Amino acid sequence: MPAPSGKLNLIEISVLLRGEPERIAAWAGQWSARRLALPVIVIIVGAGLYGAAMGWWRDPQQAFYVAIKFPLIILLTTVGNALLNAMLAPLLGLNIPFRQSFSAILMSFVIAAAILGAFSPLLAFLVWNAPPMSPEAVSGATYSFIKLTNVAAIAFAGAVGNARLFQLLTRLGGRRAVAFRVLFAWLAGNLFLGSQLSWILRPFIGSPSLPVEFFRTTGLRGNFYENVFHSFLQILQQFD
Amino acid sequence: MRHQNQNRSDGPVKIVPAIEHNPAPRLRDRQSVRLGSLGVFLRARPERLREWMLCRQLNLMVLCAVAIVIGAGIYGAVMGSWRGPWQALYTGIKLPLAILLTTLGNGLLNGMLAPLLGINLTFRQSLSAVLMSFAVASVVLGALSPVAWFVVWNTPPLTAAMRLSSPEYGVMQLTLAGFLALAGVVGNAHLLPLLSEWARSVSTARKVLFAWLVGNLFLGSQICWVLRPFIWDPSRPVEFIGREYFHGSFFETVFEAARRLIFQ
Amino acid sequence: MNNQNPIPPIPPQVPPPIPPVMPASGPRSLGDDPAERAAIPNIIVAIEAILRQPRRVMFQLRQPGAGWLIAAMLFVSVLCSLMYGVVAGTFSGGTQLWAAPVKIAAGLMISALICLPSLYIFTCLGGSQARLVEVSGLLAGLLMLMTILLIGFAPVAWIFSQSTESLAWMGTLHLIFWFIATVFGLRFLETGFSHSNARSLTGFRTWVVIFMLVALQMTTALRPILGTSKTFLPTEKKFFVAHWGDCLKGHDEASKSESQ
Repeated sequence: MPAPSGKLNLIEISVLLRGEPERIAAWAGQWSARRLALPVIVIIVGAGLYGAAMGWWRDPQQAFYVAIKFPLIILLTTVGNALLNAMLAPLLGLNIPFRQSFSAILMSFVIAAAILGAFSPLLAFLVWNAPPMSPEAVSGATYSFIKLTNVAAIAFAGAVGNARLFQLLTRLGGRRAVAFRVLFAWLAGNLFLGSQLSWILRPFIGSPSLPVEFFRTTGLRGNFYENVFHSFLQILQQFD
Repeated sequence: MRHQNQNRSDGPVKIVPAIEHNPAPRLRDRQSVRLGSLGVFLRARPERLREWMLCRQLNLMVLCAVAIVIGAGIYGAVMGSWRGPWQALYTGIKLPLAILLTTLGNGLLNGMLAPLLGINLTFRQSLSAVLMSFAVASVVLGALSPVAWFVVWNTPPLTAAMRLSSPEYGVMQLTLAGFLALAGVVGNAHLLPLLSEWARSVSTARKVLFAWLVGNLFLGSQICWVLRPFIWDPSRPVEFIGREYFHGSFFETVFEAARRLIFQ
Repeated sequence: MNNQNPIPPIPPQVPPPIPPVMPASGPRSLGDDPAERAAIPNIIVAIEAILRQPRRVMFQLRQPGAGWLIAAMLFVSVLCSLMYGVVAGTFSGGTQLWAAPVKIAAGLMISALICLPSLYIFTCLGGSQARLVEVSGLLAGLLMLMTILLIGFAPVAWIFSQSTESLAWMGTLHLIFWFIATVFGLRFLETGFSHSNARSLTGFRTWVVIFMLVALQMTTALRPILGTSKTFLPTEKKFFVAHWGDCLKGHDEASKSESQ
């Protein structure tokens, strides 16, 4: 890998995607504000394009909103959990400084965002071929198909990002067991915070019966886990 | 090894070993491919055919085209003679036409498939090779024409009593089709050693031959479908080609027939 | 006996040079053969090379200045798909004589453009060292090989277009030709990536499925390519499987009413 310069280098993204352990470890060990600009830009552009494709089915305005919200969730999750993740790593056996843990998590989100950005034309094509969003379409197979496609794409991108993160942590810590513990802890924390941020910032795909808004006014009422818990109780009550 | 011995009285004897290398194989391109060399063409080994394809391509293609026109033309005339003289004339034209149209129609495709599948033939070389196999088939058909004519002569003529389901018509039809199949097999059997010689690999040659066969059969079936009839169409007068033959396709008809057979 | 004339020693025969031993394992690297290193100066040579010397094309895509080769391959792809589109349009005639070529050419290019980012990502994930330019070039090579083969099928397609009236049958035939041409094109692409130090081609094979689905859906999104319509593009959105089902149902109903 060429010696780090202050300039943005798109080749670094392909290095991250290819998962070359030495290069990724060197990348994660370097810290400079300018070097962090490229990952942030990739997250904004990649996740933004994907978010736009997601929201486009409802309305172009929805596309614009989701193009802002999706990268925002990723960045807020990374920053919001940065301190916690930095503390968990040494506690679980991986003695890396704050900068390195932050770079590692950012790297995994960069990979996921690059993959989502690459998938965005495919999602846009799928949405273009779907009938316009209507109450009938939402209750039918089309909505389910689009929803499942989104889930599959995001799951794939997340899985690859975490796989690369695991490779990096193994290289930094030298032991797979330590890397697995740290990864699991980081994942749990990021999923916990990320789910709530997604709950607050909904909608993403949108609903035909509700107006297009940046986020619902009811978004700050209740939370994701409360909602899951109530749904769970309702199911149990069915069996009483 | 031969030793050239000089006369001793002329000076010291020089013994110069003259090592005779095997002479480089010379292309016998002086032996032009003439019509009278039909037997030479049919007997030729793959190496000789390859030489002709490289050195006498135009002569070879002309010979093959003439063989197709004459051989398949005579056989076609025999096929159609059962219906009448005009049908004989029409089929004598249509059978070689079907062969030539199939060869030309698939010329580009066959020329592309050969290198993609591993034999580096140019477009003209692949066209020559396919023409050669059809020429051999046509020569076989031409040679079988007297036998076919004998079968046709022995089949009762077209009368009110003769139907498509009559066994005599069936025997004639099967015999004529059988000769066509035999000629086709011989033609392709002649092509395989040539392709193997060119590719230096039998499996590659088989792949290319199979691909060419599939393409030629596919297009050839449809061309024959369009150019019907060859023997007889009981519902139409004798004509070169009827307008309704442009409706439908061979495979559509086969598919619908199979569907009716299976699902009814 | 006096030997006044000593026999000169027979000069040793120089044995022929032993050809170098080829390495027994592993594929040859691109550029090992001098023929592969010859530049591709024009479009005709590019067409010949992709049929007979695909490795030469792959090698040239790695050289500086591969941009013109990529542009040439895209130009040939557009031209060949326009020509094939004219043949497809002869089935219905009329406006399809210009609409079908435009849709086929545009559909192919747009499908490739939609799938290019994911191709780059999947190949990077597989460890390929190919740069974006090379990946674009290999994709352009796929398109060129595909469309050249479609031109090979054009006479066959034309014969059938003139002799049948069944839309379902002609659609099936065009799809079969497209599929065969795509298989050869994908073979070229896969060979290209296998020379780029890819650790695994699983991601590439996943991309192949995505590409086929996108291309098939594009044929439905831009319908009709065969047949006639009042509008250039369809007013109703459909997935390709539903569209095929509707076409086959229509074909069955037409056959039944004909037989009655």
